[in-house]
Amino acid sequence: MNYKAMTYRITTDKPRRPFSPIAAFFAALALLLMSALNAPAASPSVAVQLDITHAAPRGVEKPTARRILADYRFAWTNLARAVAANSAGPTQGLFTGTAKKWLDATIASQRQSGLVTKYLNQNHNLEAIFYAPEGDVMELHDTAQYQMQIFDGGKLIYDQPVVMHYVVLMTPGADRWLIRQLQPVAKF
Amino acid sequence: MSWSTNIACRIPDARLLACAALIAACLAPPSSAQELRLPASASAGEAITISATGSGRATFYLAGPGISSKSEINLGEEIRIPAASLHYAGEYLAILCSDTCRSASFDVNPAQPATLSFLVHPSRVPDNQPDSVSGVAFPFDHFSNLVLAPLTVNFHAAGPKESLFSRSVSTHDGVAWFRTSSGKAAGALHITASIGDLSAQRVLAQVASDPCNLRITGARTPNGILVETAPVHDCAGNQVSDGTIVTFTAVGSGETSTVDAPVKGDVARARLTGSGPVVISVASGVAMGNELHIAGAEQ
Repeated sequence: MNYKAMTYRITTDKPRRPFSPIAAFFAALALLLMSALNAPAASPSVAVQLDITHAAPRGVEKPTARRILADYRFAWTNLARAVAANSAGPTQGLFTGTAKKWLDATIASQRQSGLVTKYLNQNHNLEAIFYAPEGDVMELHDTAQYQMQIFDGGKLIYDQPVVMHYVVLMTPGADRWLIRQLQPVAKF
Repeated sequence: MSWSTNIACRIPDARLLACAALIAACLAPPSSAQELRLPASASAGEAITISATGSGRATFYLAGPGISSKSEINLGEEIRIPAASLHYAGEYLAILCSDTCRSASFDVNPAQPATLSFLVHPSRVPDNQPDSVSGVAFPFDHFSNLVLAPLTVNFHAAGPKESLFSRSVSTHDGVAWFRTSSGKAAGALHITASIGDLSAQRVLAQVASDPCNLRITGARTPNGILVETAPVHDCAGNQVSDGTIVTFTAVGSGETSTVDAPVKGDVARARLTGSGPVVISVASGVAMGNELHIAGAEQ
């Protein structure tokens, strides 16, 4: 055992000082910073309600309705993230077909023009209107309300609450329902 | 406005008038007031022209499905939106910014139907089954927009020996569907959906249903009892597929023995052992056949 080790042992054997208020403040600050760094990126607020009472010719089973609700909400959460960050990454595996094509085109176009779109405080009223006899495709109507903001290089050029109507086609994938068509329409 | 008022109140008499003039100038509308004039609606894949009144330079933005563009324009001149920017149906937002930003929206509607997405189930169906075949058709335009205007879709199904059905269905919310029974004859079932000259065809395999009217014959041989079926058909007279299992059961002298045999070349065969008198029955699926009484072997 060398001298330094002995010194250390002696030091730790001394009675502890009371915890100072300054140290407590910095500890709390460090904790706050750490929790902020570890927290996931802020999720856009997305509320979805699903009405399955008018689905025909096949009725929507409750587990299917739950899955649709969760997958549609997740898709919109990630759509908002994608167009806010101009990255198609968040939407991978959630959209397919035409919906994926126009979403990718929008993101590429935004990246080129330096624009960013934000969908805030989303509220979707989703209604299943057609469910194929074999359960392989579902058509839904979404009346969506959100605050739409468009930024040009950080400058806000558009900020309005909007009500949009979407005709949605969803098809089952390997582990979720995918949005195949997301077509805005003037009215249903 | 409140901050302007506060500033004016703090400034003494001599400068009050100038300050008030400045405030009035700030509150007045910009000199190069611009206004967007848009078409009420457009068709997907068609170019449109937008006009912006006013004078001077401005930035024009177009945001919609698949497009988010920015360009510098001269106010008072027409803005041409190329067809390539309007492929997807939906609402487009036009924003014009000079001193301030103004916006207006217009709708792009789907073009004429160019393709039919046609889903038919199942791919293989037993004949003569009620409501066993269904189909769903979605009309899309050239740019993959769902055509929501009502269209008449003609569904037609034809089996190997018969025309099964023909039906006209109007699309509702961009979809038309049907459900029908399978035909009586085994073979390819061609189902077509068409809108005018546009059509899509799917082919299903219509196969024999469960065997029907099983008949067996048999005879004792030195190696046991050899039994075989007559050609196995379903109730509509279609030969069942090779591999269909036929079960032979022999009961005799207090013992029961069972043999499962696959149909091969329309016939199923089995060899049963036992020397005493036996009663042999046959079954496949839910269908029973005749019973066969075989006498005991000579000692």
